[in-house]
Order: sequence, then C-alpha cells, then structure tokens
Amino acid sequence: MIISKQDFLDRAQLDRETLEVWIEEEWLVPGGAGTEPAFSEADVARAQLIRDLMQDLGVNDEGVGVILNLLDQVHGLRKALADLLASVREQSVPPRAGSSSGQDRNRE
Amino acid sequence: MRDPYEILGVASTASPEDIRKAYRRLAKKLHPDLNPGSKESEERFKEVSGAYGLLSDPDKRRQFDAGEIDASGAERPRQRFYKDFAAEAPAGHPYENRSGFADFAETDDVFAELFRRQAREARRARGPDLHYRLSIEFLDAVNGATKRLTLPDGGSLDVTIPSGIEAGQILRLRGKGAPSLGEGEAGDALVEISINPHRFFTRHGDDIHVDLPVTLAEAVLGSSVRAPTPTGPVNLTVPKGSNTGTVLRLKGKGVPRPGGHGDELVKLKVMLPPQPNAELESFLASWASGTSYDPRRDMQP
Repeated sequence: MIISKQDFLDRAQLDRETLEVWIEEEWLVPGGAGTEPAFSEADVARAQLIRDLMQDLGVNDEGVGVILNLLDQVHGLRKALADLLASVREQSVPPRAGSSSGQDRNRE
Repeated sequence: MRDPYEILGVASTASPEDIRKAYRRLAKKLHPDLNPGSKESEERFKEVSGAYGLLSDPDKRRQFDAGEIDASGAERPRQRFYKDFAAEAPAGHPYENRSGFADFAETDDVFAELFRRQAREARRARGPDLHYRLSIEFLDAVNGATKRLTLPDGGSLDVTIPSGIEAGQILRLRGKGAPSLGEGEAGDALVEISINPHRFFTRHGDDIHVDLPVTLAEAVLGSSVRAPTPTGPVNLTVPKGSNTGTVLRLKGKGVPRPGGHGDELVKLKVMLPPQPNAELESFLASWASGTSYDPRRDMQP
C-alpha cells in the first residue's frame, strides 16, 4: 500500500524539515516517480527505528547513517544466508527415512 | 508482568536520569532491529520498553508507586519492527545492500553462482505496484467509459472502465506502476473504483431501480410515459389502474453482464398536483362518499 507524504509524516510523527534531511541523508529512500514521494509500511517502520536510535538510544546523526548501512548489510547477509540454506536443503539427502526429498524418490 | 524496576534493574528510588540510562543500556543490547534474528531479544525488549514507558512518565510512575495502577497498563503495543519488513522485502528493494558479501560472488564455486543469481534477480525485479483511487459517475460505471486519472506527480493515466463495473473493483494497468530499480519491468497501477450515486437510479446486482412519478390520471386511466434508462429515455406503457408501488420491468435495460443485460425496474409513484385543485376536490368529495375502500385495514391493531 502506498502512503502519501502527509500520512507518512503523521504516522511517523515527523515534521517536514526532518523528513527532508532524512531523505537527503538517504536514511529513507521513498519510492514514487516525479516530485511526490510514495512511502511504504517498511518506510514507516524504518522511520520508527531511526527515532528509536536517536531518541532512546542516544545515537548521534553520524552514528545513524553508519548503523543503517550496517543493518542493511546484515539484512542482505540474512537473505543470502536464507537462500543458501534453502538451496543446500534442497540438494542434501536427509539420512533419516520418511523424507520426501528428490533423491529419496529416485531411489525407490 | 514483572516489577518494572526489576526489569530495568534499577532501585525503586532511582532518579529519572538513572532510569533513562538503564533503559538505554538495555535497549542497545535488545532492540529487535539490532538483533534481527533473536525472538528472545524481541520479547525482552517489549518488556523493557513497557517498563520504561511506565517509569519514564512521572504521573504513571507516581500512580504505580502508590499502587493505583499495575504494570500491565504500561505495555505499549508496538507496530512491527523494521526487521520484519526487511525480511519480506522483494529483491531489488531500495535498502538492499550487498556489500557485506559481494566479494563471495567473484569466485567460481557453487556458492558464488548462488550469489550471482541473487544479484541478477535483484536487477531484474519488477518495480513496485502503485495504488490509486478513481471515482466515476454512475452512468459511466453502467455503460463503460474512458477516464483520465491525474497522478500525484502531474502525469496522467487513461483508464478504460469496462461497462458494468462494480464499486470496489480494482483495475490493473499493466506496466503503469513505478519503474524497476534495476532493469526489470515496471510495476502495475492498481486503480480502485468508487461510484458516485445517481440522482434517481440505484443499482441492485445487474438490475437498475428507479422511482418514476406519474400523475393520478396517468395511473388511473393508463398511459404511455417517457422513462429514463441508462442508455436514454424509452416509452413505457403504464397500465390502467396502476398504483404507487406498482413495478414495471423494462427488459434488458439494466447493467450489461456476460451474455446480456439486467433489467430496469420502474416503481411508479402517484403524485397529486402540487397546487390544490378545486375541481379534483369537488369530484373526490362526491366520489369518496360512495366507496368503502380502507387502505389501512391491515394495520388495525
């Protein structure tokens, strides 16, 4: 679902100037073509995370950028690891009976 | 819920500053977005932020200390965390960052192939779908039309409304959504249709209902009147002795549907002249005395 700029500001409890800065810093990358940005639920949650970092955890502006960058890498790695595990599971033969993997079927 | 002081690990005499520090220390360790794989962190963080929510508010803290409220009222329901969205995000989303392992893809073993495939998928991912709302006139919904939708960025989109569309239906315009972030196809535009009510037509399934006013003479003596339909007025024969509430069916004048049309149901409404009419009054005075018709007979208690 696409969230308009005004709805986004309300839901993330942000003012316009702060949002401009966050977009400028690329902490938030809204979608949408042309002049009107379009936000997603993920952007709302990400804004909440940035607020947590700055307000509750006392992270300063420079720190937020570093943390987000590392977090995005963590999620990239998590995704890669999940894909890797999935493909390893597909190819490996569980030694126990009662499995339904491809190679078990070949043996029958 | 446990004692909030215990959860934060502070004494019940702790200053607001101590409480804030204790919360910060725990949140740094436990924030679910900083521990995306740990269910336990998430549970504990919820507990900790609930306790902090209670103890950081001087009023609530005083009430809690006085035993007026218990700790359960302090749990603030938190919407999902960012990590939940990151886990579901499709390949090619704007926050995707592969620099943590891009070097793995440069070797030539099976794992490298996996990473390369991932990178290709990300590049080819479709752009996101964009959602719009379009409200159209009743007759355009029945008869079909082409409407121009003005987009937030100033562009426009021609939407072909198929005849017989219903309110709440969503039209998918392939490739009219946001462009792909890589080399993939653009997403789709999804247009939700709402239909403005008509001055006198209403729709029930494929049938159209309309109340048609007729004069007393047209109803009593029968007549041919012009009746509006979505495709223009037609002649309608009002049979002799018609009444308010008499329903006449105009076959095939309703909403188009596969293999035909619904009907239009015309409900007659007998209307007296707006001005008092001396002739009518004197006629009715002499006529009514000779009849014993009681339209309220069924309503006697």
